[in-house]
Amino acid sequence: MDDEYLSVSQVNAYLKNKLKKDVNLQNIYIRGEISNYKTYPSGHSYFTLKDKDSQIPAVMFKGRKYGLKFQPEDGMNVIIKGKIEVYERDGKYQLYANSMTEDGIGDLHIAFEQLKKKLEKEGLFDETHKKEIPKYPQRIGVVTAQTGAAIKDIITTIERRYPYCKILVFSTLVQGDMAAGQIVRQIRHAQQYDIDTLIVGRGGGSIEDLWPFNEEIVAREIYACRIPVISAVGHQIDVTISDYVADKRAATPTAAAEIAVPETREVRYKISQLSQRVNKSINDKLTLNREKVENISQNQIFKNPESIYEIKEMHLDNMIGKLNLTSSNIISKNRNKLLKIESRAVLRNPEEVTKAKRETFLRNVDKLKILNPLLTLKRGYSIAKIDDKVISSAKDVKSGDELDIEFDDGTINTKVI
Amino acid sequence: MEELSFEESLEQLEEIVNKLESGNVPLDDAIDEFTKAMNLVKLCNAKLNNAEEAIAKIVKDNGEIVDFNVNE
Repeated sequence: MDDEYLSVSQVNAYLKNKLKKDVNLQNIYIRGEISNYKTYPSGHSYFTLKDKDSQIPAVMFKGRKYGLKFQPEDGMNVIIKGKIEVYERDGKYQLYANSMTEDGIGDLHIAFEQLKKKLEKEGLFDETHKKEIPKYPQRIGVVTAQTGAAIKDIITTIERRYPYCKILVFSTLVQGDMAAGQIVRQIRHAQQYDIDTLIVGRGGGSIEDLWPFNEEIVAREIYACRIPVISAVGHQIDVTISDYVADKRAATPTAAAEIAVPETREVRYKISQLSQRVNKSINDKLTLNREKVENISQNQIFKNPESIYEIKEMHLDNMIGKLNLTSSNIISKNRNKLLKIESRAVLRNPEEVTKAKRETFLRNVDKLKILNPLLTLKRGYSIAKIDDKVISSAKDVKSGDELDIEFDDGTINTKVI
Repeated sequence: MEELSFEESLEQLEEIVNKLESGNVPLDDAIDEFTKAMNLVKLCNAKLNNAEEAIAKIVKDNGEIVDFNVNE
C-alpha cells in the first residue's frame, strides 16, 4: 500500500503546480515593509515583507534589481509587483519581486511624468537648444549647497584635473520647500558673473530630497540660462527634470566636474601633438620646395644654356631644308614644262611648218582666183554699172539710163533704148 | 598679438595646423603661419605653466566674494 503515501517532493511539486495555475498569484501587487534585507554574493537579495500582523519571505534576483531607483533598506515601505511561488526545497512559498518602488511616492512619480511630458512637448529638452560646454573654461560656477559632498567632489575634481580654472560657488538649499526658489535665484545671480560653465546640482538622496530639481521653475530657469548648464543631481540612477533640460547631464557631481574641465595631461599632449604636426607639415613643405628647386636646376637649359639656341638652330635648319626642297621642286616642275614646250614640232623643225603653211596659202590663192570677177570678164562676161554701181537685175534699169559696160580690156558707155 | 584666451589660442593653433596640412598654402605664407603656430604653442604652454592654484570662492547673496574652503 506504499502507493497511498506521497513523498514530500511530490507534495511540494503538487502545491507548486497548484499555485502556478492561479493567475492572481502569478501577477500580484503587494505592499509592505522591508525587514531582514540581505544581498548575497550572487547579487540576489532576500528579505521579509511584513505588515503589522503578518509576513512573507521575498526574493529579488540580481537581474531584476537593475530597474531599482532606490537602495532598499529595512523599515522602508515599498510596493512590489511580482509573483508567489512555492520553493520546493524548503517547502515554503515566497514572493518573487519583479519590481519595487518606494511606497507613498506614487504621487511624485505622476507629477514627474506629467511635468516631463509637458516640458518635452514645449521643446525644452530639444537637442537644438543645447549649448556646447566650453572645452577650456576659465571660470566655473556651481549652484549647490555650500556644505555637503557635492561641492567638495566638484572642487577636488577640478583642482586635480585642471587647476587653472576658478570656481565660484553660489550656495543654495537643495532640498525642502524653499530650495527651488533659491536655486532659481542663484542661477540668475550666477549669470551676472563672467562664467563659462554652470554646474547645478546636489548629491544623492531620496526622490523627495531631489524633488526641487524636478520643479518647473527650476527647469525653466535652467532652460533660460545663457551660460551652458551641466546638471548633476544625485547618483547614476537618479534622473530629474533638470537633467533633461540642462545642456548636459552628469550622473554625479564628480562627473559634472569631469565634463566641465579637461585633463591637464591630455591638454598638454594635444598641444605637443599640434606642435609636432606644425613642424612636420612645414618640413614637408620645405622639402618639397627644395626638391622642386633641385629639379628645375637639373634641367638641361640651366646646365647647358646653349641648348636653347641648339634647338632653335635645329628648327631653323629644318625650315631651310624644307625651303630648299620646295624651291627645287618648283624649279624642276618648271623645267619639265619647258622641256615639254621645247619638244613641240614648231620649235624642232620650223621650215616644215612654213612649207606647209605656204602650200595652204597657194591653194587658197587658187581658190581666190576662181572667184575673181576680173577673170570672169576674160572668159567673155561683162559687168554693167550705173554710176559705178553694179547692176545685177534688169528691173534696176530703165529706158534712157546711161550704162557703163566693163569688159576685160576696157569700158564702153551706152544708153538704154 | 593681443591677449588670447587659452581656448582661442588652442583653436587658432588647430586652425593653422589644419591649414598647413592641407598643403595649399604658398611657402612664404606657410613660414609665417609656422612662426605664428610656434608662438601659440609657447603661449598655450605658458598659460598652463603659469596658472595659479585654483581658488574656489563663494559669492554671497550681497555680492561679496570670499575664499571658499572645502574642508570647513
